[in-house]
Amino acid sequence: MSRLVLMFEAAPLKEVPLGTRPVTIGRAPDNDIQIDNLAVSNYHARVYVEAGSLVVEDLNSLNGSFLNDIRVERAMLKDGDAILIGKHEIFVDQAHDAAHAEDGLRKAPAPRVHETMILDTEERRKLLDLAVASGERSQLSPERLRVPTLTVLRGRTDQKEYRISGKLTVIGHSKMATVRLRGWFTPEIAAQINKHEDGFYLGRGDHVPKINGVTISGLTKLNDGDLIEVGRVRLNFLYRD
Amino acid sequence: MSLEAVQVAVSSIPAFTVSRMRPLLHIQAGARTDLGRVRKNNEDYYAIEPALQLYVLSDGMGGEAHGEVASQLAVQTILTHCKQAENSRTTPIFGESSPDVSERTNRLASAIHLANRKVFEAAASNPEQSGMGATIVAAWIDAQRLSIAHVGDSRAYLLRAGSMEQLTADHSLVAEKVRVGILTPQEADASEMQSVLTRAVGTSSSVEVDTDEQALLVGDFVLLCSDGLTRMVTDPEIASTLLTSTSAQESAERLVDLANENGGADNISVIVLRVDEKSEGVFQRLKIWKRHSE
Repeated sequence: MSRLVLMFEAAPLKEVPLGTRPVTIGRAPDNDIQIDNLAVSNYHARVYVEAGSLVVEDLNSLNGSFLNDIRVERAMLKDGDAILIGKHEIFVDQAHDAAHAEDGLRKAPAPRVHETMILDTEERRKLLDLAVASGERSQLSPERLRVPTLTVLRGRTDQKEYRISGKLTVIGHSKMATVRLRGWFTPEIAAQINKHEDGFYLGRGDHVPKINGVTISGLTKLNDGDLIEVGRVRLNFLYRD
Repeated sequence: MSLEAVQVAVSSIPAFTVSRMRPLLHIQAGARTDLGRVRKNNEDYYAIEPALQLYVLSDGMGGEAHGEVASQLAVQTILTHCKQAENSRTTPIFGESSPDVSERTNRLASAIHLANRKVFEAAASNPEQSGMGATIVAAWIDAQRLSIAHVGDSRAYLLRAGSMEQLTADHSLVAEKVRVGILTPQEADASEMQSVLTRAVGTSSSVEVDTDEQALLVGDFVLLCSDGLTRMVTDPEIASTLLTSTSAQESAERLVDLANENGGADNISVIVLRVDEKSEGVFQRLKIWKRHSE
């Protein structure tokens, strides 16, 4: 018997047999498959048989219904298809007999909790798509396209301006320093800047630096135009075109 | 012979440079691995190479005893590759180098790429070991630069000036979902999918390695650990244990004890590094400098 299986994070939550009546999916409690999540519309989608074929139809939902990762309004379904609604997935299982169903179970055993395992390639791909989508969003931020620089406003350094790009930028007398401070009694590592996914963060060295006159407490994200003070050195953090 | 060469290389890092002395950091390391209270075998593995200041920890996976095979093979491959690279500049680089990090950090990533290949090949040539894999978190200290590289959900933390920062982003399904914004951290902590990794060493022919760098400061603590610790012990508990122990080894043992007291659901492994100042004070360093300048 054919059925729809509601899954959340690879764990089955509910099964609904497919009969002659349409199966409704949505946030409202009177749906056959109710998904209690704000990303899901009250009456989000339905699955029904038409001319011998199984069909999914999006009911003009706000966030859409996705068939195998493609947004659809109306599409034919086949065995093994996955409909993504919000964070939930609904699998189409058109197993014809018990033996087949048994087989399917053996192929995809329920994950054993606490047993470390590697994600299968299909799941990986889905996740990658999501990551790419979120990466594309963050690339829209203007800072992403501009070059982060430190301009020396005061103090003895080996250059007047530095482009920063690496994971670690050290300000100090140390040989590993990008911004090399000159003179005796200057600290080896006065401060450091770490590159994270979302930008650059200023952290302490042997000194605790100030940003815009305020002594930092822990790693602090640098914003365009920030004034950094480390001892007697003043630097301007700027994103340049 | 090769070990001697390494020691020469390390001790020849001058304690004094032309105009002034380099800071003398002393790294005190402590480590412990433990079965935990539920598992029947320990699939974790770690190794420390004091001459190189190289620290590697791994959590193996795969049925029977194959997780152990994977974690040991991965760790040993990394150590061997890094030692070789120290002795010979012509040691090949595996995987792509990044312009964002130092040569050392790229070398550490290269070692993990090679470990991936070795574990993958071992699994492919022995059907019983098919599917085995391992996480890796590795730290390599070069003077004041700390290089970190990792794959999987074993973590590196930096405790500095009272605040603890996780230097690694878990390659697990729940963590990646949190990062793309489809799961909250609370949902992730409650999820039963925490053990599902998105990356591991040895499960496919190539792997992506994440790297990070920090400038180490006197008073810092660096912790490498398997998820057997972080699922049982909270970050504040970890931080206070590091801060209140008298030695790195004591920290490591107390952290393992805490994880066991809280359930010990998995193997627990920790490497604790304490960054101290070398005992020579400024005046002593001046004396050394004077002696050498005479």
